Amino acid sequence: MAVITISRGSYSKGKEVAEGVAATLDYECVSRDILLEASDRFNIPEIKLLQAIHDAPSILDRVGHGQVAYITYIQSALLERVKEGNVVYHGLAGHILLKGIEKVMKVRILANPDLRIAVVMEREQVGEKEARRRIAKIDEERTKWTRRLYGVDPWDPTLYDLVICIDKIKVEGATRLICEAASQEAFSLTDRDRQKLSDMALSCKLKSELLDIDHNVTVTAEYGNVLVFTKADDRKARKMEEKLGSLAGRFPEIHNVEVRIGTPKLSADA
Amino acid sequence: MEQLTTEMIMVMAMICVAIFLFIVEWIRVDVVAILMMVALPLLKLVTPNEAFVGFSSNAVISIIAVIIIGAGLDKTGLINRVVAPVLRIAGNSTSRITIAISITVAGISSFMQNIGAAALFLPAIQRVSKRLKIPISLLLMPIGFCAILGGTVTLVGSSPLILLNDLLVPFNLEPFNLFDVTPIGAALVASGIAYFVLFGRFILPRPKTPEETSDDASPHNPTDTYDGMGEPRELRTPEDFTHYREPLTIGELRRKYLVNVVALSEPPSLTTVNPPPDKELRDNTDLVLFGTEKNIQRLAEEEELVLKESLEVFRDTLSEENSGTVEAVVAPRSALLGKTLKEVKLAERFQVTPLAIHRQGRTLVTDISDVTLGVGDAILFQGTWKRLQDLHDEKLLIFTTPIDVEEMKPEKALFAGFWLAVALTMVIVFKIQLSVCLMTGALGMVITRVLSIDEAYQSVDWRTIFLLAGLIPLGIATEKTGTAAWIAHQVLGALGGSVPQVVLLTVIGVLATIFTLVISNVGATVLLVPLVVNMALAAGHDPRMAALVVGMATSNSFILPTHQVNALYMGPGHYRSVDFMKAGGILSIIFIAVMIGTIYVFYL
Repeated sequence: MAVITISRGSYSKGKEVAEGVAATLDYECVSRDILLEASDRFNIPEIKLLQAIHDAPSILDRVGHGQVAYITYIQSALLERVKEGNVVYHGLAGHILLKGIEKVMKVRILANPDLRIAVVMEREQVGEKEARRRIAKIDEERTKWTRRLYGVDPWDPTLYDLVICIDKIKVEGATRLICEAASQEAFSLTDRDRQKLSDMALSCKLKSELLDIDHNVTVTAEYGNVLVFTKADDRKARKMEEKLGSLAGRFPEIHNVEVRIGTPKLSADA
Repeated sequence: MEQLTTEMIMVMAMICVAIFLFIVEWIRVDVVAILMMVALPLLKLVTPNEAFVGFSSNAVISIIAVIIIGAGLDKTGLINRVVAPVLRIAGNSTSRITIAISITVAGISSFMQNIGAAALFLPAIQRVSKRLKIPISLLLMPIGFCAILGGTVTLVGSSPLILLNDLLVPFNLEPFNLFDVTPIGAALVASGIAYFVLFGRFILPRPKTPEETSDDASPHNPTDTYDGMGEPRELRTPEDFTHYREPLTIGELRRKYLVNVVALSEPPSLTTVNPPPDKELRDNTDLVLFGTEKNIQRLAEEEELVLKESLEVFRDTLSEENSGTVEAVVAPRSALLGKTLKEVKLAERFQVTPLAIHRQGRTLVTDISDVTLGVGDAILFQGTWKRLQDLHDEKLLIFTTPIDVEEMKPEKALFAGFWLAVALTMVIVFKIQLSVCLMTGALGMVITRVLSIDEAYQSVDWRTIFLLAGLIPLGIATEKTGTAAWIAHQVLGALGGSVPQVVLLTVIGVLATIFTLVISNVGATVLLVPLVVNMALAAGHDPRMAALVVGMATSNSFILPTHQVNALYMGPGHYRSVDFMKAGGILSIIFIAVMIGTIYVFYL
């Protein structure tokens, strides 16, 4: 019982590895389909969600806060899928979207630039120079995205439990390594971990519902006891209380809701 | 026979005014008494000295002293020790508690002054009411009435019966023995208890507001604002609690169900107060916690704990006399401003548990130790009164609920018991006047620091004192002007010489009952006994029985709060005159019926 996120440099055969792991462990393999789910649930065009998770935030995004909202929607869809465990996620930024859950096994698949260039040239039917340019651009966007939004460098190996360079190990070897690592006690989800995942999913869902009232809202949940922090005024806080009151029927996992004006003392989960 | 004089008419008018004011309650009963105290000398029905003689009367001083002695005994926990076994037998049922305490009080009252027994038990009854959440009005009246009825069980139980043999001497009648009256008295106590057990719920006043359920010391219940969070609940883990589950800690319970565990008791008998968050719950553990009813129910259900109906293991630890909840507000310029409860370590420093924070119409219970405090935040604290008092004294917060601290002094129990024994020895062995003996006991308790003189003063209820002292001149006027004698002559004269003995005794009983409501029971006895003995002799009936009826019926004083015991219990019980008329009126009729019936069966 585990949750594995496989983050990959583009064209690094991460998808094959993820599918291999899912097949071996009989886990569900989740990827871009969560974008579709988020798009359905929140009625946002998939392309916008994709941009939100793919491109570094522009000035406009930072003013309009659209990107934060989109990422919340994606995170919500993802958490909904992984909260029961037995999932391999190999979409974008899994290690970041599931930040805060210790038991999630975070894997990074890398490939020698030459191998990536070869893959691009073959898949996209472009020349070597163009392939190199594309890879450099994607890597740069990715780095900017995580730096701007989360202040970390995706190339920092300490973010991951396992970093595999695919060149010599190959897809099968990487699959075997990951499956073996995943069987360790450290990654096996307990009832409490599942509760934590479910709380995160709940707080993320509620946050996405409250974003239209305050885009800076912070929502935390523990055992279904929800805390909402807002820097907005009392009127907006009351509005949130009303909305949460009306949502309570839809989310039976909510036991208690409190809206507070201010910021949380400790770092919040969502 | 004496002629009806203007003075007699005026006295009767004043009695009517007093009774009228008792009924309509335009002014409070003690004020009616003061009115009598002032009006009677102005009307020249008593002398100014006589008007205020009540304050120096043996009866009133005795009552003051016995209340102080009672407070002292209560403070050392002595009365609790007497009451505890009685309550253990009685359990939690109101009627069983009434029966148990009534029998105890009646038993004590049969050998000592009724008012003494009543006053000694008053603090204990107030405690029981608070602890078991039984409205005090349901307990005090039955017990008070039983204290009065207990006075008829032996010949030394009440002043009229003590006097009775002396009054029979001039007629050369055979004196009564100590237990001659016991069958009648026992029947009266039994019928009194049966009356309240069977009909108590219909005739006793129920409090309208929750505040009246206990003593008037707690005027505002802070927990109303907090979804009943201030009520402790006790739960127990089952025998197989730790089997097949991840360990559950106190901190987790708090986070999961938003409850505060304030104490737990593990087998064999290890009690932990304010257990740390990492403390794991084990099998067969009793824990007491605070939280909303909904969350506690959820906890019991999900974790399969047994939720008890009421406190069992922690009944004494968390009883309202030891601990409670108070609301305190963060004041402007308070040192707590801008800090969290965790930062200022209030819980650790003062050993109190913050249960909730009320802020701008919101009640916060989740992670409240991390809430940054602002001006006007109200915090609900739970703790022992002593700890809460310490917190209060720190002046960090403004307390919106008064702290009901009552420092117990169990170490002074020996002194308290000693002075009670001294007072009783002086009364019984040395036959010194009651007020002197009791005041000696009260003084002894103050000198040996069982209670301070201020506490002694505070324990005396001025309502009681003025009510009793104010009605004494009315009794004096009734006797001095010959009104009582005139009424007695008129009534008995109207009966004529040839009535059956039962009728004669009944009329004497009714007459004595009416007299004792207005004039003192001793006064009524002294006045009536010679009259009824002569009448009985003239009619050829047993004069001793006629005298006995007077001695007994002068204890039949339930209709007005004029009897000492009724006056004493009226304030704390939140009773009105109407309550006495309703409950006491029926009991007075039962009293006469049972008394005459028992005399008929046993003595005629």
